[in-house]
Amino acid sequence: MARSVKKGFFVDPSIEKKVKEAQASNDRKPIQTWSRRSTITPDFVGLNINVHNGKAFIPVHVTENMVGHKLGEFSQTRTFKAHGGGKK
Amino acid sequence: MPRILGVDIPANKKLEYSLRYIYGIGPTRSKTILAETGIDPDMRAKDLDEEQINAIMGKIQELQFVVEGDLRRELTGNMKRLQAINCYRGLRHRRGLPVRGQRTKTNARTRKGKVKTQGSLRK
Repeated sequence: MARSVKKGFFVDPSIEKKVKEAQASNDRKPIQTWSRRSTITPDFVGLNINVHNGKAFIPVHVTENMVGHKLGEFSQTRTFKAHGGGKK
Repeated sequence: MPRILGVDIPANKKLEYSLRYIYGIGPTRSKTILAETGIDPDMRAKDLDEEQINAIMGKIQELQFVVEGDLRRELTGNMKRLQAINCYRGLRHRRGLPVRGQRTKTNARTRKGKVKTQGSLRK
């Protein structure tokens, strides 16, 4: 939380470049990325991005509501298998 | 008992405290409201006259304090948004677990509710 406003958003240069190209060419092919730390800027809206979760790429379709969040928030890194249960 | 903002009926207490019964108004806001309207904070709520009640309500609007229903709506709206976009925080809200990265191995009882003992389920 609370990052200095003067610095602006952080977006990895690698993905920023790809996003710009995709928007310019209207390319809807999913972009693969490991950069979970990148903030979603308005440029991202409408793109499909595959975000790595440490094991696999999780497809994320970016909508307007997601602006301001980080890519990693949409790609879970943990799986929870339920406790107990099972048969008698 | 005077009514401020429709439903709220703060009790027989000093104004500084009774204003806090309004959802969205705590110690700080209560003090600012009274300081800016020039009403004595030690006065009892029941002694308020019409004019002063209006002054308080006016001040709340003027300072753009979001209170009561509006505030509750805003909060649920925020939660709905987080859940709709499927982000991590939304997920935690859905599961009823702490949202801001607290530990859940122990504690976290406010979010998780009372302890449910599980025992061994396998046989």
